[in-house]
Amino acid sequence: MTELRTLLIRYDEIGLKGRNRKFFENCLYNNIKQVLSGLDDVRFRIPRGRIMVDTPSSLADECARRLAFVPGIASFSIGYPVNPDFEEMAALGIKLVEPSLRAEGELKFCVRTQRTDKNFHKTSPEINFEVGSRIMTALSERGLVVNIKQAEVVIEIEIGRGETVLFDHRTPGIRGLPVGCSGNVLSLLSGGIDSPVASFYMMRRGCRVHFIFFDNQPFLGRGGLDKVLKLSRILNRYQSRGRVYVVPFQDIQVAIRDHCTPENRVVLYRRMMYRIGQKMAQKIKCLALVTGESLGQVASQTLENLAAVSCVVPMSVFRPLIGMDKQEIIAQARKIETYETSIEPAPDCCSVFMPSRPATKSRVDRLERDETRFQWEDLMQEAMDNTEVIDLDSAKEG
Amino acid sequence: MIYLDNAATTPMDPEVIEVVEESMRRDIANSGAVYKIGLDAKKRIEKAEEEIASALNIPSTHSLIFTSGGSEANNLFIKGICFPDKKTAFLGLEHPSVTATLNYFSQFGNEPLSLLGFQKEGRLDLSEAVPVLNKNRVRLLCLSHVNNELGTVNDPLLVASAIKAGSPQTRIFLDGVQAVGKLFISSGTWSGLAGYSISGHKIYGPKGIGLLIYDSRLKLAPQIHGGKQQHGVRSGTLPTPLILGLAKSIRLAVERTEETQTHLKKLFHHLIEGLKSLSSRLPTFNLKFNSLTTDDVSLQSPAIVNFSFAPVEGEVLLHHLEEQNIFVGLGSACSAHSKEPSKILTGIGRTVEESRCSLRISLGRQNTINEIDRFLEEFAKAYENLYPAFKGKGTLD
Repeated sequence: MTELRTLLIRYDEIGLKGRNRKFFENCLYNNIKQVLSGLDDVRFRIPRGRIMVDTPSSLADECARRLAFVPGIASFSIGYPVNPDFEEMAALGIKLVEPSLRAEGELKFCVRTQRTDKNFHKTSPEINFEVGSRIMTALSERGLVVNIKQAEVVIEIEIGRGETVLFDHRTPGIRGLPVGCSGNVLSLLSGGIDSPVASFYMMRRGCRVHFIFFDNQPFLGRGGLDKVLKLSRILNRYQSRGRVYVVPFQDIQVAIRDHCTPENRVVLYRRMMYRIGQKMAQKIKCLALVTGESLGQVASQTLENLAAVSCVVPMSVFRPLIGMDKQEIIAQARKIETYETSIEPAPDCCSVFMPSRPATKSRVDRLERDETRFQWEDLMQEAMDNTEVIDLDSAKEG
Repeated sequence: MIYLDNAATTPMDPEVIEVVEESMRRDIANSGAVYKIGLDAKKRIEKAEEEIASALNIPSTHSLIFTSGGSEANNLFIKGICFPDKKTAFLGLEHPSVTATLNYFSQFGNEPLSLLGFQKEGRLDLSEAVPVLNKNRVRLLCLSHVNNELGTVNDPLLVASAIKAGSPQTRIFLDGVQAVGKLFISSGTWSGLAGYSISGHKIYGPKGIGLLIYDSRLKLAPQIHGGKQQHGVRSGTLPTPLILGLAKSIRLAVERTEETQTHLKKLFHHLIEGLKSLSSRLPTFNLKFNSLTTDDVSLQSPAIVNFSFAPVEGEVLLHHLEEQNIFVGLGSACSAHSKEPSKILTGIGRTVEESRCSLRISLGRQNTINEIDRFLEEFAKAYENLYPAFKGKGTLD
């Protein structure tokens, strides 16, 4: 006989929302349903304040693995459904505590109960006592002691109307808001360490993130695109339904290189990327651009240069990493598992396009003068017309 | 598509594919099994060994070990007889599967002796190096038969006779991955060699199979332990289809050596003359050959032409050629995990800029004069197109 497990999924931030709460809950519920789709015999329930998933024990670990990628979840537990019977609860508690006992020394433990069914014949502290004392009787000789403040093992019991669930572990989720509840944004993805982290932060604030990549295959080969697709597939695990827009950028780069002041090149490239990004965002109904810029990290990321770039687009540009240092960004990149891919060697910006001394304090009037020296509107239109769209959910390798 | 990166790998010969496919369907049994279909597979492998030995004139003094490729064969032999404390030497221009293996010994306090100071045109200058080997009591000298980036040749007969006369305790190991099928290997070669490696996929054979040929008197320490296949030196079930495919590709390569050599020399000559005439036509094209331009196959393999053209970066040119469906190699290959150019071109005295601004054209028997002409034409176009962007940039490092 297959045993059943009940996954208890908790959300914190949504709980704070007022009248919109149902909307956020539905959003999270749909996202969870989506990540667990394809698993048979999974049943959902939504009692107040949590989402519960009933599943055969054989699928519980796989469900847990997938839930770890869902923004909006504060924590989750794999629970054991039991009858509201103290003997049965204690027996299960003993089974769960036993493996943690030490050969020598104490193990601190406690029982915590939450009772949403107020008709249950005992109060929460009484249940704690009934179950805890039975576990103690069985295991106190082997070093088990009760310690409510510093428990190393916590047996938790939730008694609801119709079901009782017992569990011993809370796995932290990635918190934040469920993807989709805030709308869509377009993230400029480069293949480096920063932009994937910035994209992730926006997903965690409830955005569905689409990606835009400025490609230069004639000079750099296909390695850069392959890497960006790999990164966006990793990121798409946190949201699904993302798309990558691949913009052929070589003609614009060549034009800027050949016609404009060398020191201004980098900022000019970025102004064109922002312009194309904004037009594309408008076209696909994204409400903002996202970049991985961090103040002062490289020449193009000084206050002056950021301002000189932002001013070309009438749209919000979000830079979640602006105040972070490189080590913090790297730590986060490791957590979301993009770091190893980001550091794979791939051509990023070819030396032929980079000036030897990029300007750190560009002046907008000079940039505008440079931009009169080539037909940027035409080149931009051409790049947009030739943009390739890759759907990240489709199995097809891009 | 024009494929000019045959030193990286070669397309499989249809005849070899047929052999491999047939064996994949037929030889289902483990060649170590004692029932008849297992014994049949074993017999086929033994026949393949005979076929290889006869094609390459390998005498009974030498044994064969099948490996996963050239890198494993190099590792197996070098570690198998020298690890951890036997004194080793190398020229310093070998493939990383040789240099990195030897450098690994340094962790155990056994630094390999680098003979880069005795490098001459990409080869080992024997008259100067041999006394040094003798003085340092070197037990194993590792060289490429044909250098993988330059195509320069260390002639096994010359190396062996010089070592025998001047440093008799030194054994010789040659990485032969780039040599088979392009150079003749006479029966007299083997008596001077302690070990020699071959890779299937460089000679129109399957990827994932290689061969170590070594002096049977040597006792190799196994690197892969297990079911004691292949005299206990290299455990693991033998891949019957790949072995039959390797045997077929070696036989075809050897049988066609003369024909291949003549063909390659023609292409080699055409390419070199084409590049020279391009450089006289294009004043900005600063041509510098890294490989030799001689057609003397005892000095230079006709399969490889390596040249520099500072200041235009090799990788950018490579991608421009790629757009035209022409595939070439970098003159100084970056390894899979670093963007630094390999040490081979700087090892023969080129600057870092010249190393980056280089390409390696490696020719195969399927290439044609027309393809070389197409390459020259597209190279010239790309070069003229790119030169203005690199001009005046000075050094790129």
